Formats: sequence, C-alpha cells, structure tokens
Amino acid sequence: MDELALAWKALAASWAVPAAFAGVAWGIVGGALPGISPSIAMALLLPFTHGMEPVAAIVLLASVYVGAEYGGSIPAILIRTPGTNSAAATVIDGFELHRRGRGGEALGISLASGLVGGLVGLAVLVLATGPLARAALAFTAPAYFALGMLGLSAIAGLSGGSLAKGLFAGALGLMTATVGTDPVTGVARFTFDSPDLLGGIRPIVAMVGIFAVTELMVQAIEPDWVKPSGRAARLRLPDWTTWKRIARPQAIGAAIGTFEGATPGAGGTVAAFLAYDQARRWSRHPEEFGRGSIEGVAAPECANNAVTGTALVPLLGLGIPGSNSAAILLGGLLLHGLTPGPMLFVKNPEVVYGLYAGLLVANVAMLLLGLVILTPCLWLVARPKHYLMAFVFALIVSGVYAIEQSVFDVVLALGFGVLGYALRWTGVPHLPLVLGIVLGFMVESNYRRALVISGGDHAIFVQDPVSLGLLIAAALVIAFSVRREKRSSS
Amino acid sequence: MRRDLACAVSGLALALAAWLAARALPTSLLSDGVGADGVPKLLAGALAAVSLWIGTRALLRRAGAADEPAARHLRALGVAALGFAYAACAPFLGYPLALALLLGAAALYYGASARPQTALFAVAGAFVLWLVFARMLGVAMPGGLFY
Repeated sequence: MDELALAWKALAASWAVPAAFAGVAWGIVGGALPGISPSIAMALLLPFTHGMEPVAAIVLLASVYVGAEYGGSIPAILIRTPGTNSAAATVIDGFELHRRGRGGEALGISLASGLVGGLVGLAVLVLATGPLARAALAFTAPAYFALGMLGLSAIAGLSGGSLAKGLFAGALGLMTATVGTDPVTGVARFTFDSPDLLGGIRPIVAMVGIFAVTELMVQAIEPDWVKPSGRAARLRLPDWTTWKRIARPQAIGAAIGTFEGATPGAGGTVAAFLAYDQARRWSRHPEEFGRGSIEGVAAPECANNAVTGTALVPLLGLGIPGSNSAAILLGGLLLHGLTPGPMLFVKNPEVVYGLYAGLLVANVAMLLLGLVILTPCLWLVARPKHYLMAFVFALIVSGVYAIEQSVFDVVLALGFGVLGYALRWTGVPHLPLVLGIVLGFMVESNYRRALVISGGDHAIFVQDPVSLGLLIAAALVIAFSVRREKRSSS
Repeated sequence: MRRDLACAVSGLALALAAWLAARALPTSLLSDGVGADGVPKLLAGALAAVSLWIGTRALLRRAGAADEPAARHLRALGVAALGFAYAACAPFLGYPLALALLLGAAALYYGASARPQTALFAVAGAFVLWLVFARMLGVAMPGGLFY
C-alpha cells in the first residue's frame, strides 16, 4: 500500500502524467519515422529533460520507448518499411493485410496487442525489480565490482556475431570512462589540460553522438524511404471474435517478450521474430502466416511491447542496461543525479514507483493517442527527408549544448558520431561501447576500493560470497555466449 | 578483410597511445596499489590483444564483404563537418543565425534544392528551436555578434 501511495503521490505532485502523454506521442511519431529507432527518439529528448524534475523526466523517456514500439508498426503495415527494427516482423503479415484492404484492422491489432504486451511487461517489472534490488542491497565494494563485471559480461551476448569486435568496443568504452579525474588519487587522466574533461565524458553526450549523430551520417548515404500512398487506412480496434483469435499469439508474444526483455542483448527485435515464429508453430491456421495473418501481427507487436517493461528490470534492479533504450534511460537517470540499482529504491523510491505508475499511464496513453495520431504520423512520414534530417540535426546540436551550455559537448557528441560511424563501417557493435562507458567508473572505483580494504589482496573478490556468485554468473554468461557464437558460426 | 584490418590497426595505434599517455601520468602521494595508471594500462593491453585477434583472423580469412566507395564515407562525414562548422561559428554568430545556417546547409546537403522554401525552412526551424530552448526552457544559448 505504501508503494501505491508513493506512486500516486509521485504522479500527482509532478508533471508525470502530461510527460507520459507527450512521451508516447513523440515516441509514436519518432517510431513511425524510418531511421529513428526508439533509442534515437529517446536520445533526442534526453537533453530536454535536463531542467525537468526527475520523475517527470524519467517517465517522459520511458514513455517514448513505449510509444516508439507501437509507432514502428505504422510504416511497417502501411508502407512495408519498419519504423523500428523490432517492427520488422510485423511487415510480413501487416503489409499483406494492408494490401488486401485490411490495414486499419492490422493497425488496430498492433495497437491492442501492444497494450497487452506493455501491461504484461509492466507487471513483471513491478513484481521482479523490487526483490532483485533488495537482494542487491547487501552488496559491498567487491560485490559492486563483480556486478559491474556481470554487466560487462553481457558484451559477449551483445557482440552481434563477433565476440572479438564486441570486446574491442567494450575496451574502447572502458577507456573512455577513464578520462577525467582518477576516483582514488584525484590525478587528472587524459584531459589534455582541458577543464571540460576534468569531470570525465558524460555518458549522455557519448550516447547522443553514438546513436543519433551516427544515424544522421548514415541517413546521408541511404536512399529516401517510400512515402505513404493517398489510400490511408483508418484504425479499427479488434472486435470480440478477433480478440479470441489473437489471444493465443498475444500470450506467446508476452511470454517471449518478458524473457527476452530481461535478458541483456536480446531486445525487441529478437523477441518479435521469435514470437512470430512460435505463433505460427502453435497456430490453428499456420498456412495464413505470410499471407495476411492477424496472428502474425499480434504476436510480434505484443512481444516487442512487453520488452519495454522487462528491459528495465536489470536496469532498475542492478543498474545494468541491457539494450540501447535502457542505456538512454540510464543516461536520463544519471543526468538527474540518480544512480540506478538497489540504492535507487532506498534513496529515491518516488522515482521508481513514479516510473511504474507513469508506465501504466503511458500504456493507456498509447491506446488513446494511437487512435488519433495516425494521420499526423502519415503526414510526417510523407515530409521530404532532407527537411526532417536537417531539423533533427539542429535539434541534436541544440539539445546537447543545453545540457551544460557547452559547445565542447557539441563537438564531443559529433566526435562520438564519427566514431560510431567508423565502428559501424568496421562491423563493431555500439552497445558494448556504451556499456563500457556507463559501467567503467563503477567497475574501476569499486575494484580499487576493494583492494584498498583488503590491502591489495585479490582474494577479497572470491571471499565475498555475493561477489563470488556474481563472478561465477559473469563467467557463465560469457561461456554461454561464446558457445552460442561458435554454434552460429559453424 | 580491409575493414577488419583497419579496425585492428587503429585499435593497436590507440592502445599504444593510451599506454604511453598512462605511463606519463604523475604519481600521486595518495596512490593505492593499482595507481591512476593501472586500469588504463590494463585496458590498453586488452585493446591491443583484441586488435591483434581481429587482425590475425582477418589475415587468415582473407575474404570479406565488398567495400563501399570512399565517396559514400566522405558524404557521411560531411554531416559531421557541418556540425563542427556550426560549433565553430555559433559562439561568434550567435545561436539563431548559426542554427539557421546549419538548417539550410544540412537541408541542401541531404538533397533539398536551392529555392526560397529551403531558406524559409531554415529561418522557421531556427525560430522554433530558439523559441523552445531560449524562451521556453530558458537555456542561455550561444551568444555572438547577432544575438
């Protein structure tokens, strides 16, 4: 009951409800624009949250994630172009339905399934995160180091098929995190006598560069996307018969989305394709898949929206972001001086419970806005790409500057954009780099703090039972990922 | 193969530079057993090892994806160059003018034709963003000759 009261108080005492609506609206629009992924839509808003109060800011960012997952299905269904990666599975049957004049029905199923998935994901988030965080409260310096290592071990699963390149990106990220004042001695490291670097490189600036600026650079060499035709669909929510038909694929999608969301590195895209595949396997009408099956829309949309809730479980409970969008949300928390992990529940419970309540509002907002925002989305998708990209570019440089009123940060974000582009060209994944940047300080400072406590004896890391357990878990994650990579390459 | 080799060579170069920079760090009287240079040196070593792994694998495999023409990369880098130009100009020209120039230049760069609509878009876009950041959010955006 205390938690409910806290959630209500956080919502009532802040701008969280309008923030949830605004976030979902921006998320749907951003998700509907090909090239703007949920994480980029969030990254673009991140600087705006600087002056906001924490609960409203975090709800705003999380709501963008919720809205973008639905928004991605709009162009997937209407113009055969997934607005987000996780909507790629929706293209298969969604566009086929649209071609047969049932686009409005497909959009309605996508919206309804997204709502179901979002609510299931939220329920799991609320039930699982608290116990996880309470267990993590017993952590000491060696355990925090081991927790950071467990987070870094996710690199093995985030390497996109090349463990070596994942480790390369991870090492680069960790090196980036060493820039600034040394956490123990206070020595300035790699600052080149620049006062702007004394405080280190802010993860938010690096993230905006790596995700948003890199995408802008890529869009300069990509062809324009297909524009929607004049035959725009009217959204139609499913009737009772349809609900009964899509209940099973929704259950499959929700279950897979829940598991994949909580697993670092898996994310909405994997969940959507797995859900599509399993829905076809368990369907009474598998022959309809690929030819305009409503189940083929319901399963992936339910799965990728379930991920929006469960992807936050490791972030809020342990401080480990398992996806690009979770990493951006982490940036938002850090921007407001909030450190995700067990202490967040102790020091700032209003943020956690406010976020839960805000996500509930966001899912309802998705349903309401989904009914009215289709026309503006189609209008925006039909705008000339050159104007859209130019405006997004101006928004990025303005937003990054606004964080600390620093032109240096703008230059840094552009530099990270160039780095992100170079890494993309060489096939090096981005997320391990981001993980290294956000976890680097935690790993180094706790590693050295633990050694100061033990007088330089490394045995402290295996004598502490929590630390030992986490290090074993990290080793298992790495072993599992290496095995999976070997299997896939063979 | 070329991409992996480029990745390996740049990784090795960066690792060497990071190692040398770490070695040049001053030693503090407050220093612990690891020291300010300990972790950076470890990471430089790890980066070098991974770079060697990537490079060796590239040499052994030899085959690789066909490379894109250099002109495409230069075009992508042009976007960043526009941003750097904005960052250089903003403190002198002031936020609204520098942003309008960025909007216009970026729109042209992304394929807009040089016509009055593009100029109108640049001015209107700069006005909207100035309104949001400077007026509504109250952020002190870069000042200059014209702002």
